[in-house]
Amino acid sequence: MRKQITFLILLFIGFAVTAQTLNVKGVVKDAANGDVLPGVSVIVKGTKLGAESDFDGMYSLQNITSGSVLVFRYLGYKQKEVTVNSATINVSLEIQAEALDEIIVVGYGKQKRKDVTGSVSIVGEETFEVLKPIDATTALQGTTSGVAVNLSSGAPGAKVNILIRGVSSNTNNQPLTIVDGYEGDLNSINPNDIESITVLKDAQAAIYGIKGANGVVLVTTKIGKKNKAPSVKYQTFASLQQTTRKLNYLNATEYALVLNEAYAVSGQSLPYNDVSQLGVGSDFQDELFNDALLMNHNISVAGGGENFRYFMSASRTEQEGIIAKQNSNFIRNNIKLNLGVDLSDKLNFSVIANYYTSASNGFDNSVLFNGLNFAPTFGLDEDDTANFLGIEIVNPLSQLNNTFNEYNGNGLEGNFKLEYKPIEGLSITSRLGYKIYNDKGRTFTPIQSYGSSKVFNQLQSSVYQYKQTSTRVVWENFANYEKTFAENHNTTFTLGTSVQNDLFDGIYATGINVPNNSYDFADLSLTDPQNEQRSLNAGFNDLRLISYFSRLQYDYKGKYLFSGLVRRDAASVFDKNLRVDHFWSATTGWKLSDEDFLKDNETISFLKLRASYGTLGNLVGNNLNRSFLSGEGTYVLDGSLVDGTAQGRIPNPLAQWETAVKLDIGLDVNFFNDKLSIVADYFEESRENLLIENFPVSGILGTGAPGGGNPTVNAGTSKNTGAELAINYNAINTEDASLNLSYNVTYVKNEVTDVNGGAFIEGGSFAIGNLPPSRMEVGQSIGYFYGLQTDGIFQNQAEIDAHPSQNDLGANVTSPGDIRYKDVNEDGVIDINDRTNIGKPQADFFMGFNLSGRYKNWDFSAYLYSELGKEMVRNYERFLPNVNKPAYYLDRWTGEGTSNSVPRLTNDATNNKLFSDFFVEDASFLRLQNIQIGYNFSPNTLEKVGVAKLRLYTSINNLFTLTDYSGFDPTINGGAIGAGIDYGSYPSARQFIIGLNVEF
Amino acid sequence: MKKIQNNLSILILMITSLFLTTACSDEYLDNTKVYAEDSESFFNSEADYYNALVAAYDPLQSTFINVLMGEIASNNTLAGGESATDVPGYQQIDDMTHTPVNSQLQNLWSWMYGGVNRAAYIIENQDKTDFEGKNVIIGEARFLRAYYNFELVKWFGAIPIKPEGRFSVGDEKTIPRAPINEVYNLIEEDLKYAVDNLEYTTPQVGRATKAAAEALLGKVYVYQEKFTEASDIFDSVITNGGFMLETDYNKIFEFQGENGVGSVFEVQYTDIQGAGFGCLQCSEGNVAVGFQGVRGYSGDLFTSGFSFNVPTQEMVDQFEAGDNRKEVAILDIDAWATTTGATFTTGYEHTGFFNRKYIPRKRSADAAGDLNLTNPNNYRAIRFADVLLLAAEANNRKAIPNDTKARLFLNRVRERAFGNTTNNITLSGSDLTDAIYHERRVELVGEGHHFFDLVRTGRGSEIPGFTPNKNEVFPIPIEEIQFSQGNWSQNEGY
Repeated sequence: MRKQITFLILLFIGFAVTAQTLNVKGVVKDAANGDVLPGVSVIVKGTKLGAESDFDGMYSLQNITSGSVLVFRYLGYKQKEVTVNSATINVSLEIQAEALDEIIVVGYGKQKRKDVTGSVSIVGEETFEVLKPIDATTALQGTTSGVAVNLSSGAPGAKVNILIRGVSSNTNNQPLTIVDGYEGDLNSINPNDIESITVLKDAQAAIYGIKGANGVVLVTTKIGKKNKAPSVKYQTFASLQQTTRKLNYLNATEYALVLNEAYAVSGQSLPYNDVSQLGVGSDFQDELFNDALLMNHNISVAGGGENFRYFMSASRTEQEGIIAKQNSNFIRNNIKLNLGVDLSDKLNFSVIANYYTSASNGFDNSVLFNGLNFAPTFGLDEDDTANFLGIEIVNPLSQLNNTFNEYNGNGLEGNFKLEYKPIEGLSITSRLGYKIYNDKGRTFTPIQSYGSSKVFNQLQSSVYQYKQTSTRVVWENFANYEKTFAENHNTTFTLGTSVQNDLFDGIYATGINVPNNSYDFADLSLTDPQNEQRSLNAGFNDLRLISYFSRLQYDYKGKYLFSGLVRRDAASVFDKNLRVDHFWSATTGWKLSDEDFLKDNETISFLKLRASYGTLGNLVGNNLNRSFLSGEGTYVLDGSLVDGTAQGRIPNPLAQWETAVKLDIGLDVNFFNDKLSIVADYFEESRENLLIENFPVSGILGTGAPGGGNPTVNAGTSKNTGAELAINYNAINTEDASLNLSYNVTYVKNEVTDVNGGAFIEGGSFAIGNLPPSRMEVGQSIGYFYGLQTDGIFQNQAEIDAHPSQNDLGANVTSPGDIRYKDVNEDGVIDINDRTNIGKPQADFFMGFNLSGRYKNWDFSAYLYSELGKEMVRNYERFLPNVNKPAYYLDRWTGEGTSNSVPRLTNDATNNKLFSDFFVEDASFLRLQNIQIGYNFSPNTLEKVGVAKLRLYTSINNLFTLTDYSGFDPTINGGAIGAGIDYGSYPSARQFIIGLNVEF
Repeated sequence: MKKIQNNLSILILMITSLFLTTACSDEYLDNTKVYAEDSESFFNSEADYYNALVAAYDPLQSTFINVLMGEIASNNTLAGGESATDVPGYQQIDDMTHTPVNSQLQNLWSWMYGGVNRAAYIIENQDKTDFEGKNVIIGEARFLRAYYNFELVKWFGAIPIKPEGRFSVGDEKTIPRAPINEVYNLIEEDLKYAVDNLEYTTPQVGRATKAAAEALLGKVYVYQEKFTEASDIFDSVITNGGFMLETDYNKIFEFQGENGVGSVFEVQYTDIQGAGFGCLQCSEGNVAVGFQGVRGYSGDLFTSGFSFNVPTQEMVDQFEAGDNRKEVAILDIDAWATTTGATFTTGYEHTGFFNRKYIPRKRSADAAGDLNLTNPNNYRAIRFADVLLLAAEANNRKAIPNDTKARLFLNRVRERAFGNTTNNITLSGSDLTDAIYHERRVELVGEGHHFFDLVRTGRGSEIPGFTPNKNEVFPIPIEEIQFSQGNWSQNEGY
């Protein structure tokens, strides 16, 4: 002990005698606007001595050796080094012009962007500010390479799907979303709370093991800065919404003429003998679509004191639907709190909480379908009582009058985190992430009648109610140790564990005979307790995961970079002996621009080569190993049905998750002092162990018994290959003006390489009575369209006679004006074996082109998004003689030479309605997602009224969409097998926005 | 050195802190809650056993395909249907051109094994929970397994068996096709257990009785030509079973005759639940009935169907003059249309005759659809007349024949058929045997027995297109041969 004290004293004296010391102080300011910067860290280089600037930007340091170097660091600003040669050192920091020094989260740790060796995309808060997404996910569309965003519907509150580097799985392609360290969803977050989103696209995401294969979306929400006075922001906007498109359908006169022709061709008496009085008739689309409002308010406060920093916000979004707004709307409220407190120099405690509520109502998908197919000769409030249109088509407006439902959900999510830094370089973190979501729904189905035997008729009223609770708790403990050895060997070592429990339970009930047939009485307690159709169900799920992970990051002089990681996951939803897997990855990078031969190159300011390789998992296949008593065991005893208990589908004790093997080779290069930056990647992914349902097994296992079934087996493989390119050009950047252009493009090719040794899976549906139109099959992309190939229209009988017979397709007669199908297998007969690949729902290329800039007080931006090389299936026509039809029938075949694309009209049985490329359309599109202009009031003017910033803006979302697709919206998509089939989907809205941002 | 120690201690600190805080192991994963009944944690109460038993009866309803296809296979009927390509599996079997590629045979195979496994599920778990009367449930389960296995051995010959319980994944590669005598041994054991444990009366109509087990055991003996054992067990059914021949032959096949005095075992059907083509075996109705109805029929008494399984003129001619059964068994549609004004259309291989015992009757207004698939006609699986004729055959053919007794049983059947004793048979020896065979054919026409009677008595060649030493059994479905990966060989000739 004494020895050590002596040593310390000697050391101190040593310092004292070797150099002159100074007490240094000064002010740190923003170089651009001269604002003082509080919270800037000032460190004496090579020591642990340091300070932080206070509220007034002041810092001071005692006993600093003259000649030592002070390092000023502040997030978002360029680091500055100043040699100490006087007692006052005032410093101006410049804003980080480029993102290379940006700190990004990479999963259980952080990295400088320039040191990242994986493939990542980043979206910053400015993108959310511009695009004003209701669901934060949509801000990723067109702004990030490798990421495609698919709307499942344009309805308010509808689910938005993210696809990272294409569809690889036939079951689940949703990436993992991590918000501030807890596993969450983007749709529960207020987009204004987001600081940045980082997308991990390659094997680097293996740190998330069994959940990483579909990519990982890491969301960081805002938090204030230490020693910063509260900054209050209020943002609001209002938007007028309307549909992006209505479909061109026949008016009443056209409709009657078309019907007459079909009847005449079939030798039937004409339905409309006098069409002169019909006029245009009713336009049901016009009645369904309406202008709708969208309002958003958001207020936030951020700041911090000496030992704490905080962010609080509240927001409300109200969105009406552009179809039947009384039946289609969405409301979300968010309250957010982020708080970090230094309990001591070494111990930090933080709380993140996001409380949200969402409420919505909607209507049956068939409303728009009916809106298209219901005949224009009917009055707006007239029902097809005589069943003229067939039993499945009813007046959509009557249908809406009978639509009553509500949905309410509320959730609380976030985490508690304790971070301990016992010694330099070591941080130990323990955090508890949680997400609790409760929701409930109520649907009232009144007694309703639309005409005799209509399928939508209800003879008795019923109410369906449910309540669900899901809870997720994740407890993670990990340590990061950062150390530089022998000056140049920089290492970071991470070691951690994670324990997760997801619980779900729900209760579902239906009651029959609601009093007074009224929504006001639509509650289970009031329904008929004796009714046999009354039903009660419950659902439950319990998923547990235990994981261990470790990562080593190493670089030599920041030039040669390497990381290696391994994760072990064990999941409760698989067989006990098969539930563990290990995932790993290795990444490497070489910063060529730090090499001598490029160091001072004037053209190339940054150049890095990257490569990554590793394995990841996709957590599907849950509980397939279990044998449930879900079979049908009903027999007749004593003349009545008796329900027995039988096994359901055969379990697959070997069922496991999917695994992915990913390779990425990338290049980051910046030119002209980082004005132009390019990121290019080539990637490959092999997705193995895809789950194949209904896997054929021997009948001796009893699968043939009622309600039995074949097991689901890991027996498929798919391969994705592709490339992405992102270019950013900072064309102008002066005090008065700036202009930034960016372009990104991604190419993905998916190919199924194995499905149970050569079989295929079918899915989706087209019209009624057709074979499934979508397939997963070896050599093709997942969910490609499988149907007949057309070869024009038969113009005359001679052409029919010269062509192989089409009678085996179903209709025994082929006439001029019918579709000619190709004899794909060249066997001299046209039958279902001539079906082939006629398109695919996933685009070959998707790209974004974005422009933003400012001139003096004005700012402007434009975001374009495009997908090329995809098809969609027009499936919103109901093939019945009397329903309304799309306007393309006006160009139908009516005699030799009249049309070679649209078949004749007839009520006879034909093969023209079979699934063929006649119904498959090119759905490539280019959409102007957003165009915006804003005005920023001068700070000098605002200062007088106590306002820091004020911006007014106006923008338009989805102003135009260029496409050949004739349906409502080529951007609507979803799923894997069965994707791209358009049943008449709710289109996205065009939004005219005005907004205001003010900051105090 | 100190530096390294320092780093080491940091590492150790990291690791220990992690494992202390996460003091948790993979055992945490074992305790998940499920709230769903798992097949491996069942049989905890009498109700569980009963429910599993009901489910084991359920696949009996899928035996409609055995009856329909069995009749088509014989020389009684033609396949019919809409066209020559309507259900190719049936058409090929009718023409004896069937191959291992046959979806209907594959259905039969997997549906019967569905039944075997459901019965075996109970047998496998018979010791798990005790309660009074469990032996009855086990007895019925063993009866049912015997019933399904007997169907399988009749159709396919040697089949894989697993006496201890259900088959599990991989068994198809390891369990061989047991020789026919071993299959019969298992069937006999199961039935003897059932005979010993069941009563002549049942708690519910539709469940198997001691008599059903005895009758099936007798039949199984006859199929093995164990005639002495057969005649003994038939004596017991005939004496103790309490059965009578229903005087009105027609009533047997009408709804009011279901589960009647002459019904030893009957497969129960109803039309109160709907069904679709997607899962024929799931129907609670008798699918065969709709399949053999008159195509496009409109008129009295009956409803329409798909015109399969149409009797041939040769079959119709088997009825002797004065046989009251002819009008019941065979619908001569032209004659019927003339007298009643009914209308109909004709299908493929139209003979003008239909299997009147099992064509669709008019239904109640609340019958659930698809009406073609939900006909509620019970299948009279073992009729007392069948038992009497088998008993006659056993007495006639056993080592020490008793032709007197054989004639007694045979003539009981004939007396009902003709309504007198003047048509009684007085033959003996092999002439009597032939008379019994003939009587079986006409008494049981349309009920799916004739093909198997022919092959078990070496008369398969009476069937047009029949190849001896091949067509006695049907081919193992190609899929099954492939699944077995060489474990099972194909039947001879296929």
